[in-house]
Amino acid sequence: MTALALHGLVKRFDQKVAVAGLDLDVPTGSFFGLLGPNGAGKTTTLSMAVGLLRPDQGTAEVLGHDVWVDPVRAKALLGVMPDGVRLFDRLDGAELLAYTGMLRGMDRAVVDQRAKELLDVLALADAGRTLVIDYSAGMKKKIALACALLHAPRLLVLDEPFEAVDPVSGSLIRDILQRYVQGGGTVIFSSHVMEVVERLCSHVAIMADGRIRTVGPLEQVTGGRELEDVFVEVVGGRIATGEELQWL
Amino acid sequence: MAVSLFARLKLRVLRNGFRGKPARVVMFVLSLFFGVWFGGGGCLALIASMQPAYPELTALVPAFAGALLVLGWLFGPLLWFGVDETLTPAKFALLPIPRRTLIGGLLTAALIGVPVAATLLATAGLVVGTAIGYGVLPALVSALGVVVGLLMCVALSRSVTSAFANLLGSRRVRDLAAIGLALLAALLGPAQIFGISALSRADFSRLERFADILGWTPLAAPWSASVSAAHGDYLAAIGKIGIGAVTTALLLWWWSATIERAMLGATDASGPRRAAGSAAPVARLFGRLRWIPATAEGTMVVREARYWWRDTRRRANLITFAVLGVFLPVLVNLGSSPAGLVGDDADFQALPDNPAIHTATMVFVGVLGAIAMANQFGFDGTAYALHLATGVPGRREVRSRIIGYSVYIVPLIVVISILVTVLAGKPSEVPARIGTLLGAYGVSLAACVLVSVYGAYALPETSNPFAVNTGGGLAKSLLALVAMIGSVALSSPLILAAALTGKLWTWLALPVGLAYGLGAVWLGVTIGGDAVDRRGPELLVAVTPRG
Ligand SMILES: Nc1ncnc2c1ncn2[C@@H]1O[C@H](COP(=O)(O)OP(=O)(O)OP(=O)(O)O)[C@@H](O)[C@H]1O
Ligand SMILES: [Mg+2]
Repeated sequence: MTALALHGLVKRFDQKVAVAGLDLDVPTGSFFGLLGPNGAGKTTTLSMAVGLLRPDQGTAEVLGHDVWVDPVRAKALLGVMPDGVRLFDRLDGAELLAYTGMLRGMDRAVVDQRAKELLDVLALADAGRTLVIDYSAGMKKKIALACALLHAPRLLVLDEPFEAVDPVSGSLIRDILQRYVQGGGTVIFSSHVMEVVERLCSHVAIMADGRIRTVGPLEQVTGGRELEDVFVEVVGGRIATGEELQWL
Repeated sequence: MAVSLFARLKLRVLRNGFRGKPARVVMFVLSLFFGVWFGGGGCLALIASMQPAYPELTALVPAFAGALLVLGWLFGPLLWFGVDETLTPAKFALLPIPRRTLIGGLLTAALIGVPVAATLLATAGLVVGTAIGYGVLPALVSALGVVVGLLMCVALSRSVTSAFANLLGSRRVRDLAAIGLALLAALLGPAQIFGISALSRADFSRLERFADILGWTPLAAPWSASVSAAHGDYLAAIGKIGIGAVTTALLLWWWSATIERAMLGATDASGPRRAAGSAAPVARLFGRLRWIPATAEGTMVVREARYWWRDTRRRANLITFAVLGVFLPVLVNLGSSPAGLVGDDADFQALPDNPAIHTATMVFVGVLGAIAMANQFGFDGTAYALHLATGVPGRREVRSRIIGYSVYIVPLIVVISILVTVLAGKPSEVPARIGTLLGAYGVSLAACVLVSVYGAYALPETSNPFAVNTGGGLAKSLLALVAMIGSVALSSPLILAAALTGKLWTWLALPVGLAYGLGAVWLGVTIGGDAVDRRGPELLVAVTPRG
């Protein structure tokens, strides 16, 4: 059973082809890392997978439900944390969680209890009535993650969840996600932090120029080497300066 | 020169904004068309007014037209167009630019735009008219006045919007601002009525004297200089131009002071951290609105209602309507009507007591009440992604937004109706007014919902609630205009009914208006909601700010 199945996804912006016929199967219960250089098309792919961006071609299925044909069922199973998207940031943290929960039609008492727990665990409780717009970048990431987790989805899609969070919060988020996967959930996330991916993931995919270059279980992809070396080899590109920047 | 750099920057940003955006090009061409239309019309009128053959026109038109122009530049951006913040002061905060250069540069950049060109075209009529009627030297003086007047208008609109934005941006003074505006409206109303009734009683020589005085105030001085010059009074002409120049300088100084604050990031700081209290999260979200049922839809209504107050941009719209909604009907219904300007024509004097006129005013106010919804998705920007990712049904999306906004507007409408009728001494008309207003408001809501789904556009992410993207000012006003014309047309059966049924309307208006409005809202929710279901992702793209 695949938790997320993407088939033949294509997205063009004007002339630029951001995603060029992408196929990806994320097995249920896997902890899936999506890697790729800047501009590879990770954000575009994940947006199309969760129903935020309409693909030019191709399909996306969440646990057997097509996101674009049967959005209600698919979206109920999904927890999403998009990148570069604002939150309803003129609410404070607790209000935002309450809003997200009630929006999903959850029971009021459950929302209250889970929201409080999440705020405590993620160390956001002492922000009090500070509006989310006045949160720091890392705090915003954390509250967005809490919003994605609140309804206990079956599949979590996270775009760069570890960007801007401090080491303590980072470990905390790792722990939360690991526990979530042990409980039978599936996570797919994009990241540029190789150590995290190496430590967490059961599967990885490396994409470049809108295509998947390598995909498979972590050990199979790395073959005993460092993930970073594999990444550089697959993607190509320079990692050292030559004669330039003498003035620096 | 650094200043010309600003101009080039603005032009470059404008040009890049058109790349791959045919809709923007269309908007721009349309705005050029309107600019030429109005500017050209004004130009011809002013040329005619400066002919020696029409001394009474020369005495009145330049002064009154100038005063109108200044008022337009003052209120237009606040109420209608917004300001083009392509070059936001905050974007220059990190660059080592002296303040003088910055102000000069920003002013130069502000001068590049269709409204400025249209104003210049219109007022150039003064120069041409003076040249034709009175010769070269007066025309030269007149040209100087026109340039000073243009600078004054631009400086005025920039400084006022900037100051107003600062005022509304800080949460602590927002209540003060609301009260201040309401007070201003309350004062403006009677002042206008007084002025109009004085005008209607005045004979020509009084009007002329009034224009004369106006010509010595900053409202009309730069343009009135042409008249003085035409009469050979060069001393007075130079004095008037001086008044304009000094006003401009003062406004620029004020602007630079407010810019400084804007650059220091006097944005929406929510003040010191306040303790969370012990209330449960859901109860906290609902707060005083706990009478709204705690369902998914109820929660959306509450969030929307909170946002109309917490979001500076939305609040600015709300306050503007509150001011205008009170002020407009008071003006039309209590003053001896604008017809008083025309003179003692009996037909015109009879107009205000006609129920159709009352109804028309009410329809207009009702229509205006919903205009703030015309870009409701733009206010939220990419935050809409949450609703899209959650799969909120389109009809629920639209309905909750309508209810959340109406939490403010419907009570306001009722208060306005009561206020106007009681002030007019006709309390028996209250139900009729409320009915008409609600009917028009409902129709306008429906129209604005459709516009907001199909014509959504991104707003820049700044603290200035009046800021729009390049070309956004026209988009904003055109879309709002489309919604307004559409809803006035669709509300016209109400006006017609008022005219046809006469006295009976007093009793029919409330049930008929209510049913008409509710029917329109139901239609808007159905059509608009299904459109949201169909084009949710496209809506998200449309409201994503991307330069
Ligand atoms: N709305 C858009 N309009 C035009 N081009 C876009 C748009 N969104 C993305 N692109 C282009 O599509 C390509 C892929 O972008 P995407 O954001 O998916 O990359 P990414 O892998 O998430 O990169 P990063 O690691 O920097 O987040 C880029 O070349 C980008 O310029
Ligand atoms: Mg990305």
